[in-house]
Amino acid sequence: MSFLEIFQYTRKDSIIHRLDPRSKMLFSVAAAAASLMFLNIIPLLIAFLCLIPIIAAAKSMKRWLRSMKGLSVLLVFIMVFNTLLSPVPNPFSHSVALTIRLVALMTSFSIFFLTVHPDQLSQALIQMHIKFEFAFAMSMAMRYVPTLAQEAYSIMDAQKARGVELDKGNPIRRIRNIIPIIVPLIIVSIRRALSIAESMESRGFGACEKRTYMDRLSFHKGDWVVMSVSIVVLVLVVYVRLFVALPEWMLWSLPL
Amino acid sequence: MTLVEFVDFSFKYLEADSLALKHINLKIDPGEYIVVTGPSGCGKTTLCRAINGLVPHFHRGYVGGHVYVDSKDTRNSEVAELATIAGLVFQDPSNQLVTLNVEKEIAFGPENLAVEPKEIRFRVEDLICRLKLEPLRDKHPHEMSGGEQQRVAMAATLALRPKILVADEPTSNLDPQSAQLILDLIADLNRQGMTVLLVEHRLDLVSNEASRLILMDKGSIVADGAPRDVLVQDLCQEIGVGIPKATQVYKQLKRRGVTLGRVPLTGKELAALVKEARQA
Ligand SMILES: Nc1ncnc2c1ncn2[C@@H]1O[C@H](COP(=O)(O)OP(=O)(O)OP(=O)(O)O)[C@@H](O)[C@H]1O
Ligand SMILES: [Mg+2]
Repeated sequence: MSFLEIFQYTRKDSIIHRLDPRSKMLFSVAAAAASLMFLNIIPLLIAFLCLIPIIAAAKSMKRWLRSMKGLSVLLVFIMVFNTLLSPVPNPFSHSVALTIRLVALMTSFSIFFLTVHPDQLSQALIQMHIKFEFAFAMSMAMRYVPTLAQEAYSIMDAQKARGVELDKGNPIRRIRNIIPIIVPLIIVSIRRALSIAESMESRGFGACEKRTYMDRLSFHKGDWVVMSVSIVVLVLVVYVRLFVALPEWMLWSLPL
Repeated sequence: MTLVEFVDFSFKYLEADSLALKHINLKIDPGEYIVVTGPSGCGKTTLCRAINGLVPHFHRGYVGGHVYVDSKDTRNSEVAELATIAGLVFQDPSNQLVTLNVEKEIAFGPENLAVEPKEIRFRVEDLICRLKLEPLRDKHPHEMSGGEQQRVAMAATLALRPKILVADEPTSNLDPQSAQLILDLIADLNRQGMTVLLVEHRLDLVSNEASRLILMDKGSIVADGAPRDVLVQDLCQEIGVGIPKATQVYKQLKRRGVTLGRVPLTGKELAALVKEARQA
């Protein structure tokens, strides 16, 4: 699952990291739209190649390459299957285009998730008028996933030590064996949730209708540039797709 | 002026069949360092909860008597309002850290109470500096040790500028070294003027610093006074409270007819007293 790393925030000091999450969000959407509008190798390749310098500017080239390596097996698999099963005239060419599109899509969203801290994301949502409770629930989920995972492992160990065999027997048996893990995990989680609620309550959670925020996100010059470029790209791509016939060289495809 | 006052306060949890607190009368003055101890289930946690209104507002039940915190009756005050007077630190640090980094964590309380952003930033930087949290600034709570988590939880509680810090067994999940660090920090805060109520079992670590020791059993306060006066009573052993080694030695010597000049709380003190006795 190492390819998921490109959707995981990494702390770096780069121009891209410093941008406002909202402008990055628009940019990712524009980039994704660009790759969704076309199904020819050349335009997709152009869209994709435009994203590479941005990954480099975010100082995340190494991570991106590593994830792509992890993804390569899956990509080859998709390509082979698609070529064999696709009904279109040039199935191989079509598969290559689809694969480039997939990679371009992942890359455009990875630019967002690689460079936006979950805290910034929830702050951005709040400033886009999503309710605080909702945004906070999301960041709390991220906070407690590792804690609960650890708890699940320790319960598993405890039950194994008491003779519960987790990976033996037929499927039905295996499912039944999960019960001694799930039940304590639920009980422990409820107890934890109560204790968390108690601590939040004693720190004034939900006390004021209008809560304040220590740091608010704000747009800077770079954000306006990124926003304008994204909008221009978005409009241009849609316009070209709808009203302009692509030149011959852009429609080029592989002979197969 | 009294900071916290329990007047004949009793409490029974909704689902429980017996009283968790029975006719508690207790006055806490500013600047005190009170240690509360007693066997499991004797009501220490309930006592802490009563100070900031979690009992009876968050944990519902039957209430008798009153608790006044800074002259406010907790029955008629909201937990959020009381939070700026009494700050609670709980036993399990991981359940007190609800955000993804230290700055956010400290800011959480003041943000909830709509404090000015500039003021919040000031408090955050101040607490990061005072509690030496700089190295943890960018860490996910899950990547911190229990002791580090508890320090952050303490900072998050102090961010509301409470007048009394109530800590319910803050060290019981920690290794001895981290526990000592937390206890040192609490003692430091008290020296800087913070009123402290600390629930703690390891009396050998805290008796020397505390100005007052309260012993609880079965929902009642059974002893309340200067640590030396309380620890020397036989009551401690009767209800199963572990007293410091030095005090134990003092009592054994006394039983065998050797009375030292004073009740010692630490080994150092004991040694000095023995030396004194030999010279005399
Ligand atoms: N949320 C609750 N609901 C019902 N009963 C409770 C609740 N919390 C505590 N009690 C009961 O109230 C009594 C006092 O509990 P409390 O937690 O205050 O004791 P404690 O001195 O803190 O114990 P410990 O040393 O184990 O932490 C106990 O009998 C306990 O079972
Ligand atoms: Mg307790």
